Amino acid sequence: MDAHRTARLVEAVLRCYPARWRRRHGEEAAELAALLIRDGIPASSIALSYLAGAAREWLTPRPGRHLTVVACALLVAACSLGVSAGLLASAGPARASTSQARGRAHCRPDLLEPVPGATPAKGDPQLIIWEAGHDRSC
Amino acid sequence: MSRRDGRAGRDVLRRVGEASVLILISLAGGPKHGYALIQDIKELAEIELGPGTLYGALDRLERLGLIESLPAENRRHPYRITAPGAAALRVHLDSLERVSAAGRLRLRLSGI
Repeated sequence: MDAHRTARLVEAVLRCYPARWRRRHGEEAAELAALLIRDGIPASSIALSYLAGAAREWLTPRPGRHLTVVACALLVAACSLGVSAGLLASAGPARASTSQARGRAHCRPDLLEPVPGATPAKGDPQLIIWEAGHDRSC
Repeated sequence: MSRRDGRAGRDVLRRVGEASVLILISLAGGPKHGYALIQDIKELAEIELGPGTLYGALDRLERLGLIESLPAENRRHPYRITAPGAAALRVHLDSLERVSAAGRLRLRLSGI
């Protein structure tokens, strides 16, 4: 990556910080990035570090910052998590009912043979040991 | 007194993160600006602090009153450790030393 593009990348990432931070550290941060790049540190890792720093800067509640900004960021994150969880939950019962139906069909006593030698309990089919290839009571 | 408070006073650096402690250790050797801090910490601890991490830690330490910004030289802001910062660093290093000694003793006793 040439120097011009690198500078533009760093400049773009630094724009992600709040204005207050840019006023205080902006120029020094750009100069620091240039020095680190000169030392051989990849521009992408510097940009990534600044990006993570900007996210932390926005998400850290400060006395002068409206709590609503932080709350909105958290709300967006929570919503995206909620949608994912909702999708998983809606897929879950379908899978569960399929496996239940399969389980029921597998456990039908009329389709199964008693284990030779096992004593069938009278009036309580749940206690009968069926040769069903599993150890669940049906 | 809870364990968190420590024997020689409250260890305020317990939860600030490794980067902040390294910055304080570096500044204990004299005032430095961002680039000099990164270079010094790399030499001191063989850890390369990312610039984003550096500025986050500097702001946090300044808010806590453990470091202070000096007048800018060109575009660079040097920082220096404050008296409360030096005291907090001393408490934290004492605490680390106690834990380290206990760890070494246990290793020796268990013969690992």
